[in-house]
Amino acid sequence: MAHANDRLFDHQLARETKLKKTRALVDKRMPLKDAIAQYVDDGDSLVETGFAYARGPMGAYWEIGRQKKKDLVGIFTPGGLNNLWHEFGGVEGAHVAYVGVEMRGLIAPFRRGVEAGTLKVFSEWSHGALALSLRAAEQGVNYVASKSMLGSDIMKDHPYVKLGEDPWTGEPVCLIPAMYPDVAIFHVHHADMYGNGRIWGLSVNDTAIVAAAHKVIVTCERIVDTLDIRANASNVIIPWYCVDAVCELPYGAWPGDMPGMYYFDRPLQERVVRVDWKTRESTKEWVETNVYGTKNLYEMIQLAAEEEGMNVLDYVKSLEQFACSAAYFGLGVWGTGGERDWKYEEVAKRAI
Amino acid sequence: MSDEVQYTPRELLAVIASRLIRNEDSVFVGTGLPLVGALLAHKTHAPQMMAIYEGGSIGPEPTALPWSVADPLTFYKAPIILSMSSVFGHTRCGYADVGFLGGAQVDMYGNMNATTIGPYDKPTVRLTGSGGANDMASLCQRIIFLGLHLAERFPERVDYITSPGFLDGPGAREKAGLIGGGPWRVISHLGLMGFDEETCRMKLLSYHPGVNPEIIQQFTGFELLIDKDVHETEKPTAEELHVLRDLVDPNQLFVF
Repeated sequence: MAHANDRLFDHQLARETKLKKTRALVDKRMPLKDAIAQYVDDGDSLVETGFAYARGPMGAYWEIGRQKKKDLVGIFTPGGLNNLWHEFGGVEGAHVAYVGVEMRGLIAPFRRGVEAGTLKVFSEWSHGALALSLRAAEQGVNYVASKSMLGSDIMKDHPYVKLGEDPWTGEPVCLIPAMYPDVAIFHVHHADMYGNGRIWGLSVNDTAIVAAAHKVIVTCERIVDTLDIRANASNVIIPWYCVDAVCELPYGAWPGDMPGMYYFDRPLQERVVRVDWKTRESTKEWVETNVYGTKNLYEMIQLAAEEEGMNVLDYVKSLEQFACSAAYFGLGVWGTGGERDWKYEEVAKRAI
Repeated sequence: MSDEVQYTPRELLAVIASRLIRNEDSVFVGTGLPLVGALLAHKTHAPQMMAIYEGGSIGPEPTALPWSVADPLTFYKAPIILSMSSVFGHTRCGYADVGFLGGAQVDMYGNMNATTIGPYDKPTVRLTGSGGANDMASLCQRIIFLGLHLAERFPERVDYITSPGFLDGPGAREKAGLIGGGPWRVISHLGLMGFDEETCRMKLLSYHPGVNPEIIQQFTGFELLIDKDVHETEKPTAEELHVLRDLVDPNQLFVF
């Protein structure tokens, strides 16, 4: 079979795939386990959504790890905590705009992999250029001419991006082709059973990615009635016809941030970045306990709570405290009050 | 000496960074200390400053220090949130005056490295990669770079140009087709640097209390030009430190 990189910029193939997708309103709900098994294939390119550690589909990524998918190709715009799979054969290489956790520092497994040559960096990008590559796909253009990356070493020997000349002015431009990743997984606040997904906060590149990607899985904090979506469509960023599977997954962005609902799990992120993933051996131990050793996301959260000596409900409430008291504003008419009570119940049901 | 103001090197960096921001500047804020400097400016002398974050938020009124450029605090009370390609698009349109960056290395022409230390194909350290840094350096009008001042972090030539400064000297940015104004200031824990208009080379504008131009030269991997008006950096005031410690970063996430 062709390598994922051979499909990545093939606009005809992307169109053929999408011509075959159903436009009908059909119930696409399924357990996360089945969605990952069915729609994430070994060797697929998998693009980051949200801002990796803010509204990233972390619950789905842990499940990808649990199912031991092989040789995925990462598209990191940016890439966050899911950069550890290559040490378990899960990721062959990546197209990199950014991998790290900002001021928390570098992600040790990524650094080790690239320095040792076991994780390939297929291409180097800036955030703006990679965003434009995905946007070009969504806008239906073959490529865009940008003023980013000019003169830098990123442009040197780049396998995809080319130096061009503006036909009107003659000035140098950076030509960026449209990118069509194999799979994208989005985590949203609300989705209906057909796949319409609504968020609050940053959409980042998601409206571009959803049109560009061949296969789309949506995980959501809560499944809502389709009328609820249709009555308030202004924050809908995922249209149903792009979507292959819908999974209800409260806390699906944990240990990342879910705007207005829960904040970064800072203690856990500090711990994994500074201690748990420092060496190959400690990373292996962490994954065996926390990912392979658990059945689902909720058992993982339970382990994290135990590590802090806390009851799992108090633990998730503490993550919500900050998001709700300080960081939400303009959340509108939904997502407050009863929403949170409902979530505690759902976590309790799943965790205990 | 009891009235002597005490401060740490990181606090000094944050204060100098904030002073470079003018009221009514629009500032594309990178992660780390730039977040602190921008928020300090917003809460002191630049209440009209407009912050832009690559997560998409523009003009928020954060109550506490964001942990990330996509932290919900970056869009607290923000009147608008754009997509990532749009914030860079607006920057290219001319809506970003200042780009505020950190990174591992900066060289004498202000080129910045956040990709690899050592040869690209066989790096001794693999860093994060560009993120939005290249776009900011390519598209913003003025670039401020913040970093630690060590000879290996201030080399004559960076190991990898992630974000373009003046490339290899006068005229190179124009020739490459870059539209932004390029590097404007470099803040380190030893001094404040600018760039010579003719040669595009880095020059020392002020040295921080406790050091002098000779010491700074020893920690610089190339010959640093010295501005004719070089002087000692003004110390942080008690008011600046109060706002920084008590309002901007009370939990000492960055400044300690």
